[in-house]
Amino acid sequence: MDNSAVRTEGLTKVYKDFWRRKSVSALINLNISIERGEIFGLLGPNGSGKTTTVKLLLGLLFPTSGKSWLLGHSSNDLKVKSKIGFLPEESYLYKFLNAEEILDFYGKLFDIPKTERKLRIDKLIHDVGLNSYRKRPLSQYSKGMLRRIGLAQAIINDPELVILDEPTSGLDPIASREIKDLILDFKSQGKTVILCSHLLADVQNICDRIAILNKGVLQVMGNVRELLSQKDVIEFVVKNLSDNDIQEVETFIKSRSGNVLSISHPASTLEELFVNIIQQGK
Amino acid sequence: MILTIAGHTFREVIRKKILHVLIGLGIIIIVVSPFIPTTDEPDARIKMMLVVFFQVVVLLCIVGVIILSATSLPHEIEDRTIYGILSKPVSRLKIVVGKIAGFALVSALLLTILGLLNIVAIQRFSSRLPEGYGGILKARNEFTASRFSIQGKSHHVREGIAWIEGGRTGIALWSFSDLYKKLADKSSLEVEFNVKTDSSRIDIDAIPLVVGIEDAGAGQCKTSILSAKIDEPLTIKIDREIVKKNNAINITVFPIHSMDYIGVTGEDAKLYSVQKGFLSNYIKAIGVTFLKFLLIVSIAVMGSAYLSAPVSIVSALVIFLCGHILDVVKDFSLIIQRYDVHEHALPAALKKPTILLVYIDYLIRKPLEWVSVTLPDFKRFDSLKFLLKGINIPLETVGVSFGYTAIYAAVCLFIASVIFKKREFL
Repeated sequence: MDNSAVRTEGLTKVYKDFWRRKSVSALINLNISIERGEIFGLLGPNGSGKTTTVKLLLGLLFPTSGKSWLLGHSSNDLKVKSKIGFLPEESYLYKFLNAEEILDFYGKLFDIPKTERKLRIDKLIHDVGLNSYRKRPLSQYSKGMLRRIGLAQAIINDPELVILDEPTSGLDPIASREIKDLILDFKSQGKTVILCSHLLADVQNICDRIAILNKGVLQVMGNVRELLSQKDVIEFVVKNLSDNDIQEVETFIKSRSGNVLSISHPASTLEELFVNIIQQGK
Repeated sequence: MILTIAGHTFREVIRKKILHVLIGLGIIIIVVSPFIPTTDEPDARIKMMLVVFFQVVVLLCIVGVIILSATSLPHEIEDRTIYGILSKPVSRLKIVVGKIAGFALVSALLLTILGLLNIVAIQRFSSRLPEGYGGILKARNEFTASRFSIQGKSHHVREGIAWIEGGRTGIALWSFSDLYKKLADKSSLEVEFNVKTDSSRIDIDAIPLVVGIEDAGAGQCKTSILSAKIDEPLTIKIDREIVKKNNAINITVFPIHSMDYIGVTGEDAKLYSVQKGFLSNYIKAIGVTFLKFLLIVSIAVMGSAYLSAPVSIVSALVIFLCGHILDVVKDFSLIIQRYDVHEHALPAALKKPTILLVYIDYLIRKPLEWVSVTLPDFKRFDSLKFLLKGINIPLETVGVSFGYTAIYAAVCLFIASVIFKKREFL
């Protein structure tokens, strides 16, 4: 039995023009396998084939050749979509509805019973921090608020596989951190997450494995730590060391033919600083 | 699932300004319609209100519904909100069916609100009619003759119409049998003639006819002389007792004057049992009109499964228009070729077709035949003609309209789902 959450074999998409002539090869012979429970990052520059891959998996596009499987079923199988949550690249939502109405609509599409639907809607609106705006039409929402309600609709069905296309785009650092925490929470719940993002730092922090696409071709795929580790460079992180001790350690390393590249005080990231300041203000 | 999408579509539309404008305009037109100048007939005002509702308000609503239904799917695709639905466990067929059902609900809402207002206004004006005046507020059941014959000889027969010359050379006879079983208890009877008239006399607008109502069992005949105006139907009341005694009656007609002619067919004399029932008839007319909405919505949604919003609107409007002039489309070839209408009517110069018209006819005959077969026939949903004549809309007519809509909508749905299933969303 196929235990992978997502598997593709020779997945290829060639866009053709009106006269059926080949115009653009968006994806060429993609072979990937994503294990259940992992956070998988799909990276690449614009036009690399990330969104095409996601659309092929969701059946919004049809492959020119190759096959794909989601949670052990063919991606053409309609039933498997009940276990999938999808957040598109931008918040393509019905602006005439309010938060409650839109979640109710998507909940109905998943055939979630009324009482359970209501409970989930209340919880999700609370979780994404839109409780005060639940009756306000989406046309009056900011980009960040739309992103939050978009994320809420993506998980209304408590999915096993969550596909997130640029989930933090348009969000402030606090909300962005909350989303990242939510993604990590998905992992702890055993959900599989596919994360398409341009924000490489986000991907690095939360993804287990990544694949990098360029011009529709898979360039590299593997564990984030393994891909980023420099085998010939060693890093010590030490606390409470005096300047003399530092001198001695450096001398010792040099005596053993080691090449000291830098000695510095590690800085926290700007995101950490921002989050700390804002949270202290609260 | 279908209901969810239908409900969502309905909710989207009722929040759109175009629908509010449509309802507002419809209300204004209905309110203004009783004040449009009419003839002096007691029920002319009510007729005008019916004509305005079924030909102006309904047309306005249909155009509005076409615009809304033809743009719904293209806007979903353009705004990419379709991603949200397609990534859920919903088949594309259900999306299309849901859209059609949603617009059917919108149509029902429009017809209910505006139809209700119209009937309330009509009832208000009908209370001002003279006591006992039936007029338009009847719901007559129609009976066609079981037998038609010419006693004596006809002057000539052309295109299935027997022309009878005056002066008792020939008499048109219509027999109606098995009436007693078919008639409702409280109904009264009347016969309506739609005979064609012609005369060699100059400057006359009516010809005198001898009309006989014969009790077929007893052989007794009551004869009267009536003046038939050119191109106007002639109505005579019949004593209800005649049917109580007998199951069959014969009706005879001939022109008095030897220079007058009447052209008759078996369909030209119809017997009606007259009873009250305008309201139920009106409801049936609204029901048939709703089927018309349903059909055009199916066509508009079918087009929108592939076409862009503007192209989809235009194509649905063109189909709607052509669906009303199918007779012209179908007979266009005949119109070019044939001029053998009755010889009293057209000058001889028109009888010779030019060679160019013959060539055009040769080229377009087959394509026109195909077009007329493929296009929906919207004229079959015309229920106004029944209301204006005070004829009860037969249940068979409602049933046939329903069946026609169901078959046509099913074909549209099939085509739409095939197209939509193959569609990719970039």
